[in-house]
Amino acid sequence: MKEKKRWMRRGKSTAAALKMASTKEKLIAHVSKEEPAGPTNKVTVVGVGMVGMAAAISILLKDLTDELALVDVMEDKLKGEAMDLQHGSLFLKTHKIVADKDYSVTANSKVVVVTAGARQQEGESRLNLVQRNVNIFKFIIPNIIKYSPNCILLVVSNPVDILTYVAWKLSGLPRNRVIGSGTNLDSARFRYLMGEKLGIHPSSCHGWVIGEHGDSSVPVWSGVNVAGVSLQGLNPDMGTEKDKEDWKSVHKMVVDSAYEVIKLKGYTSWAIGMSVADLCESILKNLRKCHPVSALVKGMHGVNDEVFLSVPCILGNSGLTDVVHMTLKPDEEKQLVKSAETLWGVQKELTL
Amino acid sequence: MLVSWWYLYLGAQSLYRHGKTDACLRFKCRLIGDERERYVRDRVYVGHVFVHISGGVSLLNMASVLQKLITPLFSGPVEPPRNKVTVVGVGQVGMACAVSILLRDLVDELALVDVIEDKLKGEMMDLQHGSLFLKTPKIVSGKDYSVTANSRIVVVTAGVRQQEGESRLNLVQRNVNIFKHIIPQIVRHSPNCILIVVSNPVDVLTYVTWKLSGLPKHRVIGSGTNLDSARFRYLMAERLGIHPSSFNGWILGEHGDSSVPVWSGTNVAGVSLQKLNPEIGKDTDRENWKETHKKVVDSAYEVIRLKGYTNWAIGLSVADLTESLMKNLNRVHPVSTMVKGMYGIGDEVYLSLPCVLNSAGVGSVINMTLTSDEVSQLKKSADMLWHIQKDLKDL
Repeated sequence: MKEKKRWMRRGKSTAAALKMASTKEKLIAHVSKEEPAGPTNKVTVVGVGMVGMAAAISILLKDLTDELALVDVMEDKLKGEAMDLQHGSLFLKTHKIVADKDYSVTANSKVVVVTAGARQQEGESRLNLVQRNVNIFKFIIPNIIKYSPNCILLVVSNPVDILTYVAWKLSGLPRNRVIGSGTNLDSARFRYLMGEKLGIHPSSCHGWVIGEHGDSSVPVWSGVNVAGVSLQGLNPDMGTEKDKEDWKSVHKMVVDSAYEVIKLKGYTSWAIGMSVADLCESILKNLRKCHPVSALVKGMHGVNDEVFLSVPCILGNSGLTDVVHMTLKPDEEKQLVKSAETLWGVQKELTL
Repeated sequence: MLVSWWYLYLGAQSLYRHGKTDACLRFKCRLIGDERERYVRDRVYVGHVFVHISGGVSLLNMASVLQKLITPLFSGPVEPPRNKVTVVGVGQVGMACAVSILLRDLVDELALVDVIEDKLKGEMMDLQHGSLFLKTPKIVSGKDYSVTANSRIVVVTAGVRQQEGESRLNLVQRNVNIFKHIIPQIVRHSPNCILIVVSNPVDVLTYVTWKLSGLPKHRVIGSGTNLDSARFRYLMAERLGIHPSSFNGWILGEHGDSSVPVWSGTNVAGVSLQKLNPEIGKDTDRENWKETHKKVVDSAYEVIRLKGYTNWAIGLSVADLTESLMKNLNRVHPVSTMVKGMYGIGDEVYLSLPCVLNSAGVGSVINMTLTSDEVSQLKKSADMLWHIQKDLKDL
């Protein structure tokens, strides 16, 4: 269906000319001389595995973006996923969904979510994945920056704290624009389990899990509260071994839950997808909400190495602009320092 | 009489410490206010309470922070859910439906059912871990259908999926046998539910579901051509440079290779495309709009070839149907409904027509003005479906 040449369309309204015009031209008269501006809230998701697609669908269903780009190395899967999402366009408010192996489709993104990388096998710890994922990042990160030099990088791939450091080094971006999804998910799981124990919705149960995302995350018991009522004030043994209510097991369940879900269904996707959409919302809408995400903590809580650990951070348009300084007990700070040392021990061996 | 819970708590605590689970506690408490008139003797009431500690240690332990933190005002029986949806089958389609429904805040309880227990539990846990970001307080799952009790809507996605190149009709008998197990159990636990059938071949399986469930025909719906119409609207809108929701076009009939695009109804802002281009949809059309419909039919096969299955689009379309049903919207959707008696069809078959959906199910059907060509296509689909259905055993 060739559209008729411009000189035939312009100005002429003879019957013959109209007959030659396409249906589209008969239906729609183009009036605006200006080209529409580019995307204002574009999000790119790198990696269309289970986590990447869960993040994509959560972002789409929350109407956060006007353009979504997907990138991966597996071209068939990538095209299939993009088509599937496009077929749902009627039900969404994101008018443009693009996908390609080539990073040029990611140009002008505000937020780039990096989920690419090898996934944890059953029983495998996150630290084992490191070198495999560093090599993948050496290809991905420079490509992202080439096309979106002003973006905010949100790293999800595991081990997230190390890979956020790697992404920061490889990208050359300032520290406020490289964020790791960190313990946002651990804290969500903690609040869910706490809510189950108390019979209250998770959003009304407040509790922060900080530090390393994984086995050595730190639950800050002094901050656990409902409506400002500190639970540790009601139960001073909370979080210790002698606690009769065994709240410590709540944190243990948070640590184990990832392994548990992987054992049952092979991977985790929905919860991390929703937590990524939550972070993107704060960034894209400049909410300045406080989230526990992975940030550069050198100089805080006695940490002297360049490592990324999760602390409560304020997220907005410019990324991670402020960090909330938590009052931690000495043993909690010791745990953070110990995590930092473990992470630095791995990081200094990496070839970047 | 004001029984002091504090005394009861102390007594129970001392019981626990002494390792006893049953006792009769004698206690005294001071009366206040108008209680003094009622219990005259002295201003002290002496009474007995029989205490039984069940659940042993953990119950008492749990009570302590909880009890200190929260004062219950009302404790009655647990209210049944008002907006419960069950999804049967936690494969890719089932989970896409579940997540779309959750992220649209449509339900206060979601139940998942499947036969593979590990995967089922894993999916439930994964969704529960996202509870902070959702407004659905209860997500349950189980192999046993009792978790589905009191559902308003049950989405059936269970069944085997199309292999690459396999047509939908080949799946029939395999899926009928699965349904014979599923449907009666659903109806037993949720006799007032509305069933949405998604598994393919959807028109045949909706008929099967209707027969097996014994529900009235307006409460059994097939997802039908809701997805085909969505794809059609997307592809047509892309060609015109507008949003799919501003392009109106309906694909009816059988979900699959012989679906019928109603070209006479295609319009933007009420301007009929067929009036602008009388050849639209025909082979003589220079602009080859017919190709768009062909792309709709092929797109399922294309996506399956590329990624192995389709899930996001169908999940979003099911959430759209669920929204109309749940919120009693009376919106019109092209879904699979019993068409015997319409368009000269004499068999009991399910085909997609524009249906008005509300909380009772299919409230009414819109009478489309179809050309004789389109009617004969519907009749042909009906004949083919009946040909398959009449051979199905044990319905």
